Order: sequence, then C-alpha cells, then structure tokens
Amino acid sequence: MTATQSLLVVLLAPLFSAVVIGLFLRRFGQLAAYISVATSGVIFLAAVHAVWTAGGEIVHDSWLWLSFGAFDVSMGVFLDDVSATMMLMVTFVGFLIHVFSLGYMAKDASLARYFGGLSIFMCSMLGIVLADNLVMIFVFWELVGFSSYMLIGHYMTKPAAAAAQKKAFIVNRIGDLGFVVGIAYAYWHFGTTDLEVMGALVGADPNLIHAGIAALLMCGFIGKSAQFPLHVWLPDAMAGPTPVSALIHAATMVAAGGYFLIRIVYLFPPEVLSIIVWLGVFGAVYAGFCAYARRDIKQVLAYSTLSQLGYIGAAFGLGYPGIALFHLITHAFFKALLFLGAGSVIHGCHHEQDIFKLGGLWRKMPVTALTFLIGILALCGVYGFSGYYSKDAILIAGGMTNVPVAVLLTFGALLTAGYMGRLFWIVFLGKPNSEAAAHAKESPLVMVVPLVLLALLSIAGGWLGYWPEVLGATIKADKAELIQMTGYDAMYLRVALLGTLAWIIGLGGSFFFYGRGASEDRLEKIAAPLYSFINQRLWFDETYDFYVLKVQQRFADLLSLLDVFLIKGVLVRGSAGLVGLVGMCARSLHVGSIHGYVYWFLAGMLLLWAVAAGIFG
Amino acid sequence: MNDTNAYFLLAAILAPILAGVILLFGARFTDTTRRAIAAFGFGWPLVIGIMLYGLFVPGLAGEYNFELRLPTGLESIGIYLHLGLNGISMPLFILAGTVGFAAGLYSMYSDAERPHLYLALLLFMLGGLMGTFASIDVFFFYFFHELALIPTFIMIGIWGGVGRRGAAIEMTIYLTLGALLSLLGLIALYVESGAASFSLPELRDYLASQPLSETVQNNIYALLLFGFGILVSLFPFHSWAPKGYAVAPTGAAMLHAGVLKKFGLYGLLQIAGPLLPAGAAHWFPWLIWLALGNILIIGLVTLAQRDLKMMLGYSSVMHMGYAFLGLACFSVVGAGGALLMMVAHGFSVALLFMLSTCIYHRSQTFDMSAMGSLATKTPVLAAFFVAGIMASIGLPGFGNFWGEFTIFVALAESELTRWLVAPAAIGIIISAIYGLRAVGNIFYGQPSEAFAERLESAPIEDLKGFEKLPACILVGALLLTGIFPRIFSDDANRELAEIYPAAEHHFPASAGVSEPAATTIYQEDAH
Repeated sequence: MTATQSLLVVLLAPLFSAVVIGLFLRRFGQLAAYISVATSGVIFLAAVHAVWTAGGEIVHDSWLWLSFGAFDVSMGVFLDDVSATMMLMVTFVGFLIHVFSLGYMAKDASLARYFGGLSIFMCSMLGIVLADNLVMIFVFWELVGFSSYMLIGHYMTKPAAAAAQKKAFIVNRIGDLGFVVGIAYAYWHFGTTDLEVMGALVGADPNLIHAGIAALLMCGFIGKSAQFPLHVWLPDAMAGPTPVSALIHAATMVAAGGYFLIRIVYLFPPEVLSIIVWLGVFGAVYAGFCAYARRDIKQVLAYSTLSQLGYIGAAFGLGYPGIALFHLITHAFFKALLFLGAGSVIHGCHHEQDIFKLGGLWRKMPVTALTFLIGILALCGVYGFSGYYSKDAILIAGGMTNVPVAVLLTFGALLTAGYMGRLFWIVFLGKPNSEAAAHAKESPLVMVVPLVLLALLSIAGGWLGYWPEVLGATIKADKAELIQMTGYDAMYLRVALLGTLAWIIGLGGSFFFYGRGASEDRLEKIAAPLYSFINQRLWFDETYDFYVLKVQQRFADLLSLLDVFLIKGVLVRGSAGLVGLVGMCARSLHVGSIHGYVYWFLAGMLLLWAVAAGIFG
Repeated sequence: MNDTNAYFLLAAILAPILAGVILLFGARFTDTTRRAIAAFGFGWPLVIGIMLYGLFVPGLAGEYNFELRLPTGLESIGIYLHLGLNGISMPLFILAGTVGFAAGLYSMYSDAERPHLYLALLLFMLGGLMGTFASIDVFFFYFFHELALIPTFIMIGIWGGVGRRGAAIEMTIYLTLGALLSLLGLIALYVESGAASFSLPELRDYLASQPLSETVQNNIYALLLFGFGILVSLFPFHSWAPKGYAVAPTGAAMLHAGVLKKFGLYGLLQIAGPLLPAGAAHWFPWLIWLALGNILIIGLVTLAQRDLKMMLGYSSVMHMGYAFLGLACFSVVGAGGALLMMVAHGFSVALLFMLSTCIYHRSQTFDMSAMGSLATKTPVLAAFFVAGIMASIGLPGFGNFWGEFTIFVALAESELTRWLVAPAAIGIIISAIYGLRAVGNIFYGQPSEAFAERLESAPIEDLKGFEKLPACILVGALLLTGIFPRIFSDDANRELAEIYPAAEHHFPASAGVSEPAATTIYQEDAH
C-alpha cells in the first residue's frame, strides 16, 4: 500500500464505521461499540503505516471536488512532519479514549448513537489534520463542530446538555463567519487555497501577506480553540459524556484551532500575531482564576484546558509554531489523562461530580489516583514530566522576545498549580464526603489500561530525544532557534527556577489552604466577596445571554411585527384596499339612479371647463 | 432531429398528467388501484430523469440533449412544443422528479379526504414541473409553470389548514401578479427581439447579433426581475410564502417550495440574465439590496417564529436571498452557486416540510415551545429532522453548503461585490440559531407540562415506512450533492461558461474582476 492509500484508509474507515452503525446497528449497541473501537485501532495502524511508508518525504495528492469558472476546489491529503505528528497523536489518543468508553459507557442506553458519533468525529478530525487546502479544512472544521454538537447533547433529556450543545455550535459559527469570509478573500488573493502552493507563493513574495485575510482566518481559531471572547462554550460543553470531553474538548478538537494556525503560519504578519499572543495570555490567566471557584471536577479541568489553549496561542503568536505544536501534543496527552481520570472517578462514584462530595479516593482508587497525580505533575511542569519541556520552551520564548508575556504566563503557571492542587487534595485525600465516595471502587481494566498508557506518555512525551526524526522536525527547529539566541542559558536557568518555584508554591499553598478532603470551599468561607467575584467569571455569559434574549430576540420580534403589519398589512392588503376603493367609486357610476348620473355629468362638465380654462397649466 | 430518447422526455411530462386524468374519475377505485396508478405517475418521471442523466452526452456548449420539436398549431406566432435538456436544466429536471416522487409517496398514504382528487392535482403539478424544466420554448416554459401553479391554489383551498382562505387568496393574487408580470416580460422579449419563434436558443442568437437598446433591456428586465422575484419571494414581496406554506397540504408545500419556486430563479438564470445583460447591470444594485433584505431581515424575522411551519416558510424565503446574490454576481461562479443552492434547497425544504407534518401527527401542535424531548420516543424522526436542519443551515456534506459557499466565493471575486461577503455570511449564524433552536425545542430537553402528559398517554410511534422512504430519498439526494457536487456542476459549468462569458462582465469597467495577486506574480516570472 502506498502512503496515500493508507491515508485514505485513515480518512474513510471511520466514515464507513459511522455509516454502518447508523444504517444497521442502531439496536445493537454492543456490536456498534466493538466496530467503532476496532476501526479506531485500524486507523491508528494505518496512520503508522502511512508515516512509515512516507519515510519523511512529503506526501501530497489531490482530486478535483468542484469546479465553476475560475473557482476550483480540490480534496486532498497533505502529509508533512506537522500533520504526521498531529495524526499519530489524534489516532492514538482517540484509540485509547474509544477503549475507555467501552467501560465508561457500558450501561448507557444509546451506545450505538454514542459510538457512531465518535466515528464521525474521528473522520472529521482527521480530515482537518490531513487536508491540503483551506476549503477542505473548513468542510471538516464544520463537521467536527457537528459531531461535537451531537455528542455534547448525548444525554438529551438533560436541559443543560441541550442548551450547551446549541451554545457550542452557535458560538463556533460566529468564529466560522470570519473564517469563511477569509477563505473567500484568500481564494482570489492567492488564486488558490492549497496550503503548499500558498506557502511557496508567500515565500517567493512576502508582500502577498495580507493582514486582513490573516485576521479573518484567525477568527476560526478563536471560535474552535475557545479563545477570548468566544471561550464561553467550552465549560458548558462539559455536559457531554466525560470521554467526549477528553477526546473532543481537551485533546483534539479544541486544539485543532491551534493546529490550523500552525498549518498557515506563513500567512501571518506581526500585527496579527501580537493579537493572538495577547488573546492567549489573557485566556491563560483569566481561566486560571475562574478555575478556583468551580466545584465540578470537569469544570475545573475545562478551565484548565482554556488556560492551556491560551499558552498554545501565545506560543504561536510569539512566532514559534513548532513550540506551539509541542505544547499542543504534550497537553493532549496529560489533559486526556486528567479527563479520563476524572471519568474514572465519576464512574466509580455513581456520577458524583462535586469535588466537595468526593474525597479519600487515594486508597479506594489507587491506579486512578496515581495516574491523575502524574497528569497534574505534567500539567504543572514538574521537571522531567512532558509539560515541563513544552511549557518551559514557551516561557523561554516569551522571556527572549516579550518579557511581559513571559511574566504573565509564569504567573499563570502558579495559578495552574494552585487549582490543580486544590482539585487533587480535595478529591483524593482525607475522608469521603458522601455515600457515593465512600463506596467507590477502582474502575475495570478496560478503563485503567488507557490511563496507564496515557500516564506513560505524559511523562515521556516531552523527551524530544526519543521522537522519531520524521515527526519532530518543526519542533526541534524552533527549539534549536531558541538555543542559538544569545542569553539562552541565563534565560533557561531563570525560567527553570521560576517555573519550579511556581509549582511548588501552587501545590504547597493549596495543600495548606484547602487541607485534605475538604467538604466545603475555604476560599468561599473566608473571602466570600472574592469567591463570588471569581465565580461570576467577569460576567461574560450574563452579557451574552442579555444580548441574545433582550436585544437580539426583541429586535427579531419587532421586525417580525413590522413584517406582518407594514409589509403584509399596509402594503399588500393596502393595495388591495386601494383597488377596492377605486372599484367602489367606479361602481357608483353605474348605479342606475338619475341623480347619480346628473352629479357625475356636472362633475365632468366642471373638469372640462377647468381644462379648457387652463387651470391645470 | 427528434431522437428516440427525446420521446422519453415527453413521456416524463405526460405520464403524471395521464395518471392524474385517470384518477380524476377514480372516486370508486380501491386503495390499492389508486396507489398503483399514482405510483406509476409519480415514479415514471424520476426513472426517466435518472435514465436521461445516464444517457446525457456532454456535447458542445449551447446545445441541447434529447431535443424534440413538435408542431402545436401555433406556428404562425412561433410557438412549438420544443423540449430538451442541457447542463443547467438537467439538475432541476432531476430535482423535480425526485421531490415529486417523495411527495407522491408521502401523499399516497396521507389521510386526505377525496384522496383520488388530491393525488390527481398533485400529479398535474408534477407534470407541469417536469415540463417547465424540459422546455426550450419560452412559451411552454411559462405554460407548464401555470399548469403546476393552479393546482396549488386549489389544493390549499380544499385541503389547507387553519386560515386557508385568507392565505389561499393572498397567495393566488400575489403569484398570479408575479406570473403576469413575467409573462409580459417574456412576450415583450419575443416582440422586441424580432425572432421568429419563442425558442430560447433562437432568441439568444437573435439578441446576440442585434442586442436591444439599453432602455428596452432595462424595462424588460424589470418586468422579469420583479415578476420572477415575486414568484421566488424576493424581499419585500415575500409575505405570501410563510403563511401560504404553513396552511398548504404537505404534498403541495413540498412540490411548491421545493421545485415550483425555483421556476423564477431558473428564468432569471437561463433567460433574463443572459439575454438582457445591460438590464441586469442596471438593476444590479436593487437586486443585491433586496437579496440582503431576504437574508438579514427575513433571517431575523425567522428567529421570532414559534410556529414550526412558519419558521420553515420564513427560512426558505431567507435562503432564496443567497440564490439571488449568486445571480446578481453575473458570473459563472455566482450562477453555478445559485444553481447548486436551488437544487439542494429544493431537497432540504421538501424534506423539512414533510417532517414537520410527521411531527404534527405525533405532537398535535406546531408550536415549538409547547414540545420537547420528542427524540426519546422517535429517534429516527429526530435523526432525519436534524439532517434536514443541518442541510438547510449549510453543514458541509449536504448540497446546500456548496451552494452557499460557492456564492460567497463568487461575491468575493469582483471588487464591486466583495463587501457583500461578510453581511451575507452573517446568515450562517442566524440560520444556525433558529435551526438548532427548533431541534432543541422539539426533540431535546424537558417537555412542557401538557406535552409531557401527551408523551405519557398517547401512543407515539416512530417514523413509519411510508414516511421513512421519502425521507431517505431526500436525505440521500442531499448527501449525494454534498459529497459529490460534480454530478451536476461539471455539465452546468460548461453551459454557464457559454452564457456568462467573462468578457461580458456587466460591472463598470473600473471595478471589474481583479486578477489574483498571486497569478500576476507567476506571469511576471514567465516574462
């Protein structure tokens, strides 16, 4: 099999699985689950095979999809080191989460719908990864949005889930508005949207870089990667099943925004990059604060994801796409691990998600607890764990090029360690705070094994020395660029020191502040105003809700009223009325009464005289 | 010149009409007989459509396949029954056949009173529709449209829902006015051109050799634009549509909103634009502002609807705005986008109107805020409805996406329309809001109190076979056009390149199509 054929298997196998499940297996949930899991395994193998066969060469094939006049769209696959890295991450993490779902969703009534949705998601996500042009990225971009919509709403009778799925799709569409306009402009600006050709064109003539187009394309990233101000959908999306949160809303789909930027990095001028940096920094710090007032284990992780997406955006905006990709990959490993760990906790405690009702799980769920701790250490950037390497690279890049960014991001790291510590001490130490937590049991093997594998990756994922040559090229190039800068060694030392200090203070401080297995939030008790301020999250949701309900809906209602009364009532019915009026007058000409005729006769005489006398000019 | 396959074209028109005539006298037929006859009438056009698609030979641009020219006794004024298909009319011919078959299947099992009459009228409609898109002769193009239009009025009047009288009258007056205006325009075109027949290619040749003066073009184009515009619910001439569709019986709503409405767009695309380029240029600013009205104003009005059918009616008015914008571009890309939009919208709106009736049969209400969590009882219905809504809001994978997207690209092509991309694209947000809101209110969340009682007590079944099959056909067609748009676009592209030559761009010369910056560089390299 050639590399292209393997890539087509990667792209089409999940689609095939989804079609089979949708058409034939609606009532055979268990079978559907096995088919979906097997497919995700097959595509991982096919992905490895494709990368193996390509052997570091670029694979680029495309086929005409639609053509009108001067407008051609093609569908194609484009495999270079960036897409190969991303593809292997998505297929492997995807496979583990599929396996985990077998255990987590075992008692669900609509297994077939769930696994069919996962298969559609895999197809769409891999479409983004492999796409060779902007239009194709957009097509699959919308499809991941759709599968996210379906999977968030999996528990369809839960009003929160129904509201969250709607919100996620619509907020993403706001970002996509800019994206689609950007593609339309880009097509006529470059004469193509092919990634490789555009790169070559811009390389030949940097004047082709267009800030407006870059800014429009950036809107897509803001929506999908939940950057400020479109971040509001991601925490709500936690209403979906936990493996979905791990796969879609932590490891892959939300990172697709960052991946998309890395694909088209050559289109970005400095002014747009600096917008991305500051959006990212704001998101990283803002989300870090928000996490302190969350009681739901998944919500804490969701804000942590928002914050880490900010780091990815900041790394990209600083001009280091390779480092952004590096953090994207390590983040995928440890955040998937944390979410699956949370899933294991939720599964073990009868769907109790309030951290103050958990507690003391360290003894009852040892593997989950240990792997969760590894995830936290990786996220906090403890020396030797994957997060250390990628986060430090971002901080160093900031320190070398933009010091305020580095300072704020280091402060973000402190916040991260603090809220993750709070989560861990309360959930896993101390005594159980509810019936459910007291009777918790370790999850079955099918859930524990993915945890262990992800924990290994969360440790080793940052050791670039072990990355195969074909994958790490872009990352290593960016790191090498940093190392060659003057003052690198001093900066490295400073960042390592500050970063280590940050996690020690964060984890230690939260341990002493919250205590072990607390049953209530100490921050809420001793500083209620501060807590409630954080809890309001700067009123973004309230503002948007106000706009939707009180401004947009009232405006729509007003227009609807005008439509009925003005256009339909006055103009249409009015003109009918006018015709009727003329008819009435005309009818009185022929009523057959002598009086009538006499008056009309006189009126006519008067008119004739007036015309003759020249009164009308 | 009449090849044998051309008679199949004639058969596609006559078969439903013949079946309709038989059914008119079929008050005493058994259910089975009635359905067999109707199935023949509804199925035949689709079978022929698919067969002719297979036999279609991509010949020279400007020529027709399956050309048939029969005398009618009206030769003295240049009227022949002149049939044929080209790359532009083929997709619409298949659209009519497919939607006709789906609507027919659904209606065969509907519980309408006097079903033989109901089916007969629907069959006449279908015959007229097949004829409209198969006609080369402009007179018959119009004649077949009227043949399909009149049964619509009768069906609303007899089988319509609550408030049918007012809606039927308003719709009749409005559409008759639109049809009359466009008839005036077509006759004026024929008279002014001095051609010896109503045949479209002949008219085109005549006008190519001796174009009409600009004033004449402007006036005739105005008649056609507003005449056809009314028929397609161009803002602000749209008020007949939502209410009309809301009360129309399902089969009639499917055929009218899905297919018959496309008559006006087809007329603008194939006749008015290419024959009267100066007129199109003159009315260009009007058209884009009114089309924006369709997208933005009607889009917001759609947001305010609580009644499912009114919402669908308004959303269909809104989506016509995209087709108008595509036509306003006056380019191959724009016209191509409009054509894809017409076809895909036909499938999706027919599907949604049908499913809304299916929902009504289960909920006994069209008020969306009074429903909820219906998906727990009817997962298959929910899946089809989500597919229909996703198609209509332009999710890739369904044909509508290619229509909308191609139109956005077409707008960006020229300096003059470039600013329109952003306001037009706001529609993708608006449609997502009302579409998902409908899905959420009907199928997800918690039911309202009254509805919860109904869910408990009433026997609510999932989609039955006669509802599932038409839905499958329509969703299949949407997926086919979405995944493989070239089944229609390649032939259409060749044809459109002929009638919308790039050189005859109607925009002011200073604001013509800009060369892509990148291409310019390539050319410089070449020197």
